[in-house]
Amino acid sequence: MKSLIIIPAFNEEMNIEKVVKSLRENCPNHDYIVVNDGSSDHTADICRKNGFPLLNLPVNLGLAGAFQAGMKYAYIKDYDCAIQFDADGQHLAEYIDDLIEEMKTGKDIVIGSRFVTEKKPWSARMLGSRVISAAIFLTTGQRIKDPTSGMRLYNRSMIREFALNLNFGPEPDTVSHLVKRGAKVSEVQVQMQDRMEGESYLNFAKSITYMLRMTISILIIQNFRK
Amino acid sequence: MTVIFRMVLIVMSFGTMGYMLRKIHQAKMQIEESLFWFLFSVLLMVLSIFPQIATWATRLLGMMSTSNFIFLFIIFVLLVRMFYMTLKISQLDDRLKNFAQKMAIEENLREEQAKSEKNTQTCTNSTDFANDGGENGKHRLEQ
Repeated sequence: MKSLIIIPAFNEEMNIEKVVKSLRENCPNHDYIVVNDGSSDHTADICRKNGFPLLNLPVNLGLAGAFQAGMKYAYIKDYDCAIQFDADGQHLAEYIDDLIEEMKTGKDIVIGSRFVTEKKPWSARMLGSRVISAAIFLTTGQRIKDPTSGMRLYNRSMIREFALNLNFGPEPDTVSHLVKRGAKVSEVQVQMQDRMEGESYLNFAKSITYMLRMTISILIIQNFRK
Repeated sequence: MTVIFRMVLIVMSFGTMGYMLRKIHQAKMQIEESLFWFLFSVLLMVLSIFPQIATWATRLLGMMSTSNFIFLFIIFVLLVRMFYMTLKISQLDDRLKNFAQKMAIEENLREEQAKSEKNTQTCTNSTDFANDGGENGKHRLEQ
């Protein structure tokens, strides 16, 4: 399978080099591309200096826009599958092949999940994850244990959807929508790390709004989509 | 509130929601943006079906009539929304400006690069001819 690893990066000058180098070491057979989302730091320069394949967005589009740029690239270059991979060092390259193996059993989306065999802790941070899981279960009847995991593998037909359509952000509500439309989704146990350097995008207030937005979107608005 | 006013409110809120959901169905609006309109039409619906809430708030604020409260309330919500839209438009405008400027500068840089590459190419060509020792090079230089 011809696979592409898409690494959206916004102001990740401290992590990007380490992340891509570990990716090259652990999965030398896969192509990858860094999508620089209009960073104001040296992310693009570092990529050029190291010769990493780069899509350099001239303005900041946000995660959804940056990831879609990667999906468009994958669509045009005719890849069999594309994986979303964080530039902050959270995701571990060792698990990419596990995800691809799982996809070969006929899945459309494979999620790198923290909670297939491990138990989900009862922390405040995981409350949002539980609420979103419950919302997806209510509307689709499928249990997705780690809906907020950003490590997802998509097959060819999913690449097409993400590349060409509006409202296909790499978020749990899109996954829920796709499940409802008949996409086969499964999860593979992975480990994740805390981000290496720099600040996470999500603080407490943002997490709450994110959770509310996702819940309303999954429970109500997704029902009216085609 | 009169019955007619309530009916107008109910019809309006259902209309808003129906229109919005249709646009989502046609994939013409981003879900994030539609969330506001969804919550807004739910609010209108609640107020029109349970006017007691509005009456209670009217008394609390010491206002003359319930409809006044509802007007004020809706105007306030829309004002906030308009402010937010202005913010968004400013950001969009800024991004578009940046985008256009970057495109123009990059095009200029690329052209310059292409030109300098062309120049060096013709230089090496003419020296090749000259090194040929033959007529061609001289001929070319004379011309």
